[in-house]
Amino acid sequence: MIKIVGAILIIVATTLVGFEISKRLSERPRQLRQLKSALQSLEAEIMYGHTPLHEASRRLASQLSHPVSLFFADFASRLTETETTVMRAWENSLNHIWKKTALKNSEFEIMKQFGETLGRHDRISQQKQILLTLAHLEREEVDAHEKQAKYERMAKSLGFLSGLLLIILLM
Amino acid sequence: MGLDVEIIFKIAGVGIVVAFLHTILDQVGKKEYAQWVTLFGFIYILFLVASVVDNLFQKIKSVFLFQ
Repeated sequence: MIKIVGAILIIVATTLVGFEISKRLSERPRQLRQLKSALQSLEAEIMYGHTPLHEASRRLASQLSHPVSLFFADFASRLTETETTVMRAWENSLNHIWKKTALKNSEFEIMKQFGETLGRHDRISQQKQILLTLAHLEREEVDAHEKQAKYERMAKSLGFLSGLLLIILLM
Repeated sequence: MGLDVEIIFKIAGVGIVVAFLHTILDQVGKKEYAQWVTLFGFIYILFLVASVVDNLFQKIKSVFLFQ
């Protein structure tokens, strides 16, 4: 009896691990898309709205959904409440929020490099920087999609099957 | 007899699961991992079978050599 309970526990645990991994894989393209639309809105705010950066990022935070909106809210509050440069506030917000997202190191570097250029140039070069970052993120999104299509189902079935194998070996 | 049936089921179960793992890993292009999984499954089953054969030999010895 207790053997069966243990077996069920093992299978549930490994299956949950598999589903968690596949969820991360499917979250990444979604969050990248959000990040891209955030940058596009930021471009519009800068180019056509002439909005100050903290106000623009507060607006972005209210427009977007969960993980990316947290980043912009954090960034806005850092800009208004503390004595800091845009670059450092951007980087700190990135570090602060990164653990909660499903994004990888390459996106982190891209966003960090974008933060280094933010608020340093006139509008035209700023727009060029945004477009460059968008192009980088586009590439990452294609990569993320590929990975999702390839590994999502594998992660699920691998979790379940490894649990099954473990049970048979331990029986 | 009960033990024999159990070990056969165990071998069958390992075989089925390892075969599934092999096909899935093969599909996503991780051929080397698939081969490792198959190899380890094979070694495990080999050990099971070896222990059974060892039992058999001990029994034969005890029958014919009167130890």
